[in-house]
Amino acid sequence: TAAEPWPENAALYQQLKEEQILLSDNASSLAVQAFLQMCNLPIQVVCRANAEYMSPSGKLPFIHVGNQVVSELGPIVQFVKAKGHSLSDGLDEVQKAEMKAYMELVNNMLLTAELYLQWCDDVTVEEITHPRYGSPYPWPLNRILSYQKQWEVRRKMKAIGWAGKTLEQVLEDVDQCCQALSQRLGTQPYFFNKQPTELDALVFGHLFTILTTQLTTDELSEKVKNYSNLTAFCRRIEQQYFEGHDKDSSATAAARSAKRSLLR
Amino acid sequence: PQSLLQAYAKFSGAPLAVNTLSNSWRVPKEDIPVLISEDIVISQPAKILNFLRKQKYNADYDLSAKQGADTLAYIALLEEKLLPALLHTFWVEAENYCTVTRPWFASRIAFPLSLYLPGKMSRKVLNRILLTRGGPPLYSLSEVEAQIYRDAKECLNLLSKRLGTSQFFFGDTPTTLDAFVFGFLAPIYKVCFPRVQLQEHLKQLPNLCRFCDDILTCYFRLTVSGHSPAGQDTADANLQKLTQLVNKESNLIEKMDDNLRKSPQHPPRKLTTLKLAAGGEESSPLNRLSP
Repeated sequence: TAAEPWPENAALYQQLKEEQILLSDNASSLAVQAFLQMCNLPIQVVCRANAEYMSPSGKLPFIHVGNQVVSELGPIVQFVKAKGHSLSDGLDEVQKAEMKAYMELVNNMLLTAELYLQWCDDVTVEEITHPRYGSPYPWPLNRILSYQKQWEVRRKMKAIGWAGKTLEQVLEDVDQCCQALSQRLGTQPYFFNKQPTELDALVFGHLFTILTTQLTTDELSEKVKNYSNLTAFCRRIEQQYFEGHDKDSSATAAARSAKRSLLR
Repeated sequence: PQSLLQAYAKFSGAPLAVNTLSNSWRVPKEDIPVLISEDIVISQPAKILNFLRKQKYNADYDLSAKQGADTLAYIALLEEKLLPALLHTFWVEAENYCTVTRPWFASRIAFPLSLYLPGKMSRKVLNRILLTRGGPPLYSLSEVEAQIYRDAKECLNLLSKRLGTSQFFFGDTPTTLDAFVFGFLAPIYKVCFPRVQLQEHLKQLPNLCRFCDDILTCYFRLTVSGHSPAGQDTADANLQKLTQLVNKESNLIEKMDDNLRKSPQHPPRKLTTLKLAAGGEESSPLNRLSP
């Protein structure tokens, strides 16, 4: 299977773009799409209401390549590497360690903050998350699924000590993370200078989604906008990897729809 | 957290007197260690570090912005990849927990909390590991355990590559990151457990072992120069106890093991001796795990 070349009909599955997908899943999906674009591997984005249940790990996005299904950015990077494509081969050992550390930072802080905002902040939960998450399903299933997921996420937050945080503290953590990313990026075009790596894809996925998603408040996107090199970074990747293709391509459509409001 | 904080305090020259909290009734949420400074009480390591920095005990003063960012990233790596396995070694691995962690911990706190608290911590840790790392495609506890130990070993390898041949992570002077890494590695390195796969892996990375040894020699012994702030008498007394503990830890645990094996009931005399002999740092490998 590692020897098989990348097929033309490789597909990436996520939830419904317009009505259902939430901030964190959108960010993760965009990160994978950016990564595959950077590797020059064609992928089609397929939207399904039950994408979460189809995924082997329960997390999104997942890709269906040939007869294999792989979910989440980490395993997808490994899978793609086994097929002979890699963005980080040119890095030395210390740089690879650094890259992994920064990816953990993004997961630890940005992704967790996104999850907190959409499942633990009552205003956001009421106005955005609950209506969106169960939208493909009839009442009462939509509310049940939504509450179930919320309970699950809150349990996890409690286990890692985030349940006691206030929104201000979470936003402060986001700011600290953005500051670190901004300082690391400096004036370079990518995190490891000339060539993008999976870290660039991951950071792009999260920052672009935060910048272009309309929530109940602008505070989250304001945190990112404070760092001009980060917004320039997002624009650069968007232009290079998402607008240079046909208007019909799924990647451009994904980027465009991410810009639209997530409100009802 | 305790060894981490003491290391940081030593690096930045802050005078820090260590007091053991033997009566855990006062801190029902197990929020030890607690920093008390002129009536201000602060309880989490990150907040305590912030407080120390604001008081101008800053070990990161000479770092560049990028190095500061790297610090944050590596700390995230430690928490995500190394911490679950560390917690598991101490609190979930059955042999380790029963023969070392629980008796040690129970001897430090008042009865009847000693009956209840260690079990609670153990369950809390297991819960945390399962919630954050369990789930498909890992379906059984042993699969989750295998994965977290794989991650921890990879993390140790990454740290070793990053450290290379330098003395500390950012050159010749220690910083917050060194304190964090030391805080995580010291318990693995020094505490002798029956099940020691992490320790064995660590011993195969000589630069990390050298790193721990250097910090222990330089900062946790009496004969150190250039880093002693004024008014260190209490700190000196604690340092002495610390040295005793760190050097004789393995002997103590071996003695405890023998005692436990010979008689099912804990002979109170032996444990009392332990309490008196060792000072604040004794609880460090254990308190370190209070979330």
